[in-house]
Amino acid sequence: MANNHLTSESKQLATWYFTFAAILFGAQLLFGLVAAIQYVMPGFLFEIIDFSIARILHINALVVWMVFAMFGSVYWLLPDETGIETVGIKIGKLLFWIFAAAIVVVVLVYLLVQVGPADETTIWFITEGREYIEAPRWADFGIVVVALGFVGNLFLTGMKGKQTGIVTVLMADMIAFSGLYLAGMFFTDNISVDQYWWWWVIHLWVEATWEVFVGAIAAYGLITMLGAHRKTVEMWLWIEVSMLFGSGILGMGHHYFWIGTPEYWWEIGALFSALEPLPLVAMFIHVLYDWGKTQGEQNAQGKDVSVINNKPAFTWFVLNAFGNFLGAGIWGFFHTLPQVNLYTHGTQFTSAHGHLAFFGAYATILIGMMYMGIQGSNGIKVMKNTKASIWAVSLITSGVVGMTVSLTIAGYVQVLVSRAQMGATWAAYFDGQSGMWFTQAMDWRLFMGAVTFAGFLFLIKDFLSTGKDAQHEH
Amino acid sequence: MFEPFVDVVPSFFGWLNQGPLTLTIFLHTIIILPMIWIYKQEKARLEREE
Amino acid sequence: MANKSVWSDNRFWQRSAAWVTGFASVLLIWLTFDTSAQISMGNDADLKNGVTKRVPGPTVINYKITYEMDTKRGHEVPVIGGKEKFFGRDDYSEEEAGALLHLGKLGSQAKNCMDCHTLLGNGAYYAPDLTKSWLDPAWGPEGSLQAMTGKNTREEAMAEFLQHPSQYPTHERMMPNLGITAEEAKGLVAFLKHMSSIDTNGFPRNFGKIQGAVHGK
Repeated sequence: MANNHLTSESKQLATWYFTFAAILFGAQLLFGLVAAIQYVMPGFLFEIIDFSIARILHINALVVWMVFAMFGSVYWLLPDETGIETVGIKIGKLLFWIFAAAIVVVVLVYLLVQVGPADETTIWFITEGREYIEAPRWADFGIVVVALGFVGNLFLTGMKGKQTGIVTVLMADMIAFSGLYLAGMFFTDNISVDQYWWWWVIHLWVEATWEVFVGAIAAYGLITMLGAHRKTVEMWLWIEVSMLFGSGILGMGHHYFWIGTPEYWWEIGALFSALEPLPLVAMFIHVLYDWGKTQGEQNAQGKDVSVINNKPAFTWFVLNAFGNFLGAGIWGFFHTLPQVNLYTHGTQFTSAHGHLAFFGAYATILIGMMYMGIQGSNGIKVMKNTKASIWAVSLITSGVVGMTVSLTIAGYVQVLVSRAQMGATWAAYFDGQSGMWFTQAMDWRLFMGAVTFAGFLFLIKDFLSTGKDAQHEH
Repeated sequence: MFEPFVDVVPSFFGWLNQGPLTLTIFLHTIIILPMIWIYKQEKARLEREE
Repeated sequence: MANKSVWSDNRFWQRSAAWVTGFASVLLIWLTFDTSAQISMGNDADLKNGVTKRVPGPTVINYKITYEMDTKRGHEVPVIGGKEKFFGRDDYSEEEAGALLHLGKLGSQAKNCMDCHTLLGNGAYYAPDLTKSWLDPAWGPEGSLQAMTGKNTREEAMAEFLQHPSQYPTHERMMPNLGITAEEAKGLVAFLKHMSSIDTNGFPRNFGKIQGAVHGK
């Protein structure tokens, strides 16, 4: 990404974050492929890079690339929203390098050391062994420092410059996002207490604070890409915040059905989380509504050109609006009621939901933000889709949807055979895994994973070349 | 009238759990109802500003 | 009459968002206090006096654990019965049992167990759920897994498997050797036995109750 057109240091820093995020996205897909191959050929890299290690890298790279792209998105939009250069940008740049270096060390330790003896040194220096937040404790403290610096920059800039509704939402959201990480930093012998607080990080990130972040980014995108009216967009944003936090915070109950916590969580988890798709419907309607409205206004003036000034980014934003609803909303609702979850909990159903939700809700909009970075870096006024943009979006989307469908079918087999029929034992588990529907689903998942990766290659080609494409309007 | 308590430890939230959805509807209600008050205040403000 | 509707007023929605978020957070914190009290670990006295805890104390490893239907609650619950030997002893003190559990919980994290298995249903889906694995009939006296390791008790069979997993394949998909020592294996088995005693509101349903249902008896 060339930076020659960027006068704002904040936007330059954003492009660094986007670049590193794109690299980690590639790592996520590669290790996902390793894990997918292991389902089909269990001997693949056995006792070299075992499934557990491939999966740690797959999901940690996922979380970290998204956090990088989120930080980048905030640094990107701050100068536009507040009207001033980001305060403390030098510290921001230093923290970027610390963060990136720490990630590289953590990844190398995951790959080369993998596991340690059962004592505190392993927890401090190798792995904490808690899904998604395996990062060893020294890295936890590093992450806290980096997050504090980032939140500090955001707050100082928001208070000094113009504090729009979008910036206000981001300020409140990002401090909660960073603070919640602290809930995942302690060790306890009591696994019920362990998982209770672990969900404070995982759930309150992906089903509350990250979703609100997406709402704010979508609002920013509609204003910058379409020229939508700020007042309307921000009203929608506040409605979305009410509905997202209103359902998402107590929706956490759906993780407390079976971990040793009281039965009353069944009710709390069931209805609050059943309402979680509502704001996602609202967000989808909102994006399409604003698009139609601004385009209609322009057509009424007799101008017959598209209002969208960044086609590839807007494509990803629209995909986000629908993918969030489908992946997080529908696929989540599938198994959120306790009567259903009793049998689906801990099966490939969760995995299917995870793939479509992380993609639909987060990957899409963050890729969209990366395209906005490319547009700004190259001083492009109206950015068009190239062949590679279209190949990328088509292949990645069909790949992820294909994986989701495969995993859903695999999940059905597990639920019916391993759980309902056989009662969840070791033998029951492997009877389910050996079923023809399950093994074929895993073959398809691998194929669709490869399709996704091919799409990623097109995406990178496009990132590297589209800035110089002559068809864009300067 | 009240359902007997069946969970391991009696608690306020467990007691509110009186049958299908009683607890969750109660919680939803106390979250939503105060919005009426916010609505009335904002309506009065808008009228004042006219 | 106001010309502007409150429903399209940004301030109304902003205040509503602040209220809903704040109050939902307060409720969550209140619920967290209530739940934390209920899931705190019990102790030896509770076990001796027959006090039911959702998460019993570590000395539960001195007792026999079963998983039985509770008609009042409508699902299965772990039932703690009489004394049962664990690695030849049923008199572990609170400190000894606590130390074993501590070692096992640390081990479960140091070896990244939940990146293949699920614990309480959370984790990865590449290997069987371990929530009630202690109660799996396959590790019992007539069970195939116990027979495979050539040991005479559940705990010894599980510990042997954990130390040399790739010697005992149960499927084409095998558990890798993670360098688990004999002491760590003992801790891990204590951790698994303790986990099976946690009241998980009936998850997993029908655990170990149905055998051979698919292929017919």
